Amino acid sequence: MITIESSHNNLDGVAQKVLRNFWVWSAHHPAIFPLFLIVVTCLSVGAINADFWQLSNLFDILRASVVRGLFALGVLVVLASGGLDVSFTAIAAFVMYTLTLFVVNVVPDLGIVPIFGIAGIMGAGLGALNGLLVSYLRAPALIVTIGTQYMLRGFLLTFIGTALFMNIPSAMDAFGRLNIITATAARGSEIGLPVYFLILILAATVTWWMLKHTLIGRAIFAVGGKPDVAERLGYRVKSVRVFVFAYAGLLAGVAGVIHVTANRLANPFDLAGTELAVIAAVVLGGARITGGMGSVVGTMLGVVLITLVSNVLILVGIPSAWQTAILGAFILFAGLFFSQLDRLAMR
Amino acid sequence: MLDSEHPQGTQAATASPFLETRSLHKHYGGVHALKGVSLRIERGRFYHLLGENGCGKSTLIKIISGAQSSSAGQVLIQGRDMTGLGPIAALGAGIETVYQDLSLLPNLSVAENIGLSEQLVEWSGKLFHRLDLSRLRDSACRALEVVGLPTERAFLSRQVETLPLASRQLVAIARAVASEAGLVIMDEPTTSLTRREVDNLIRVIRRLQSEGAAVLFVTHKLDEARDIGGVGLVMRDGELVHECDVSKATNAEIGYWMTGRELQQGRYRDMQPEKLPPLLEVKGLSLKKAYEEIDLSIAQGEILGVTGLADSGRNELAMTLAGLAPAKTGSVVLGGNALDLSAPDRVIREGVAYVPEDRLAEGLFLEKTISENITMSILDRLRSGFGLVSRSRARQAAQNTLEDLQIVAEDIHAPVSSLSGGNQQRVLIGRWLAAEPRLLILHGPTVGVDVGSKEIIFRIIQSQADKGMGVLIVSDDLPELLQNCDKILVMRNGRIYQTYEAEGLDEHTLYSAVVGD
Repeated sequence: MITIESSHNNLDGVAQKVLRNFWVWSAHHPAIFPLFLIVVTCLSVGAINADFWQLSNLFDILRASVVRGLFALGVLVVLASGGLDVSFTAIAAFVMYTLTLFVVNVVPDLGIVPIFGIAGIMGAGLGALNGLLVSYLRAPALIVTIGTQYMLRGFLLTFIGTALFMNIPSAMDAFGRLNIITATAARGSEIGLPVYFLILILAATVTWWMLKHTLIGRAIFAVGGKPDVAERLGYRVKSVRVFVFAYAGLLAGVAGVIHVTANRLANPFDLAGTELAVIAAVVLGGARITGGMGSVVGTMLGVVLITLVSNVLILVGIPSAWQTAILGAFILFAGLFFSQLDRLAMR
Repeated sequence: MLDSEHPQGTQAATASPFLETRSLHKHYGGVHALKGVSLRIERGRFYHLLGENGCGKSTLIKIISGAQSSSAGQVLIQGRDMTGLGPIAALGAGIETVYQDLSLLPNLSVAENIGLSEQLVEWSGKLFHRLDLSRLRDSACRALEVVGLPTERAFLSRQVETLPLASRQLVAIARAVASEAGLVIMDEPTTSLTRREVDNLIRVIRRLQSEGAAVLFVTHKLDEARDIGGVGLVMRDGELVHECDVSKATNAEIGYWMTGRELQQGRYRDMQPEKLPPLLEVKGLSLKKAYEEIDLSIAQGEILGVTGLADSGRNELAMTLAGLAPAKTGSVVLGGNALDLSAPDRVIREGVAYVPEDRLAEGLFLEKTISENITMSILDRLRSGFGLVSRSRARQAAQNTLEDLQIVAEDIHAPVSSLSGGNQQRVLIGRWLAAEPRLLILHGPTVGVDVGSKEIIFRIIQSQADKGMGVLIVSDDLPELLQNCDKILVMRNGRIYQTYEAEGLDEHTLYSAVVGD
């Protein structure tokens, strides 16, 4: 696709027009890119190993996409507003460990709904702190969130605890085992599609609706496109900035609790270091690191693509070092694809 | 909240004008930018805010549109005190401001750019509300129809940044239509448009006015202001110094009020150069999709003007001669030797200086100091013993340029961004004059520059030509070309359409040659 320019001369007018229309169309539907890579990956993996085509594999991918997907929705909203957040894994780890410890020791009978509620509030509070620092102190978002990431992690490990524990609250344990449906894998084991997958669907729907159908959603893109113009037009730029970080924090808090219920253990060292993969997923889905662009559908496809490469390729015997390389290639490819798209669609 | 959309005709409201300011003052730190400005704006009329760069025009607009608060004084809209209520209140009261960047959100769709404000204002800026998408589309459609843009779905959902400038301009006006603005403020709306686009824009604005809106232009283009007609408001040093019927006011009158001194009218070019040896000879120059078979020559001390519509190839020709867009065929000879146009640094070394049109994006290093900006083209001449740049020589060179070009700056180590537009442009020209070129190419030398600075720039151009420098001016400001050039080339569709002697040529002849009727 990168050689298109050099082959231009050989194409006749019609083909050139079709090609141009394709670029313009792609610019409006960037989700086509991760979708294309997902199809290619599935077809090639399926060709190598026919065992790939199983319902249980699909469930596996969806299950593994939940935590990353929630993170990605938060990152999408922050990126769309022109910000950047790398602290969400630290927020998730902090919330999940602190909250689980608190519930186990103080209110062991607390139900799953209040647990999620508290997690969301804690996450939103920590996220709002990022937002306040970014918007009122005018500090760059990347630096602020690197700072809060380290502080939260350090605080967690110093004052709360370093030991992982498996006696998680009964409500969380039960919720993690609850399945919508189950399928039997080739080797006879049961793989279920967990109920917490619905939380991702709910979060994606809410985020989509918010971005498309509310003033705050449009304001987020307005601020991400040109903050000074948005301010002149009367958008409250500071409120928007605080809101997006709080929203990302809320989703991170919820994701943290799901992480505990899914693994049935709470480990304060978990989730650290997965930020870049999440940001990559969002960018693969068509969001721009410079702000003002991105869609929920694209983001979800980007998450599925990353999960596919990092969780499923192992099933068909592709060594993990190769997965990393493939992932890297996809991300590079995405960067080139979208920059070409911008250049060509603008003409 | 405010029910300003439907004024309930109180006695005060019927008697008062749409907008009134009462002795507005604004201080920025130690600078007194506005010194008691009082003005009245009535519905259905045109106003032209005129004044040199830095006279307080922008500050006044920002205060009226709620983007800044005043230090003292009042802003009344339909008799209601709106002082310092912010942009949403100003929008709600019917004031729409189109700044030079058009105040458009590039990544949002056409429909959103037009219709969002209406709903934002309705919820008085509170963001946690549902967006009525069908209403958004309806108001956008109605407004687009008024300004004459397409109204189909595909256009509505197009991202504004993918539109050409003239259409973006119309989208910005459509937003004013959609919000039923009582006053539309336009900050230099025609700066980057071609004549034909300007004509269309003015047609649309007239329609707005006929429906009862007041339109306030901030402009440097006196001729355009005269064509449109209305009230001229002249500002100088933060004060409103003169009010007049703009269509009857002469350039001399307005220039006098703006600057406080008499400006030269008519031609700046007084003497015809004797037959001097040719400097630049261009033969059969062609660049695909830009221009074809261009022949031209410039003698030493001659000033040649090139004009045409934006797509006539004039811009590309200027870029080619600056080494920025190498031509495919043709020959260029400078002072008897073939000129290598493959890269800008080679062209510069041969003694060609190019002053680009967009001084902010292509010319100046805004955050660097005035001194650095001036000396950066002559660094190799400022070297001292060890190959380092001599600070004292640099300071001397910068100081000389400042004096020669009458640049008003308190400190040569202040960033260029702290200067007014006219002074910035002179810094840019000064940089290239410091390099003592044989050929000076000026691309839109006075775009966005006030008349006072214009006059100084014209005098500089003339004095350089008198010293034997060849000058090529590429511009769509026709009076500027008529005042300064010996010959004017009109380009059309990539070819030279006509060559005129500038002496005695009138603007209408030139304009018809440019647009082609």
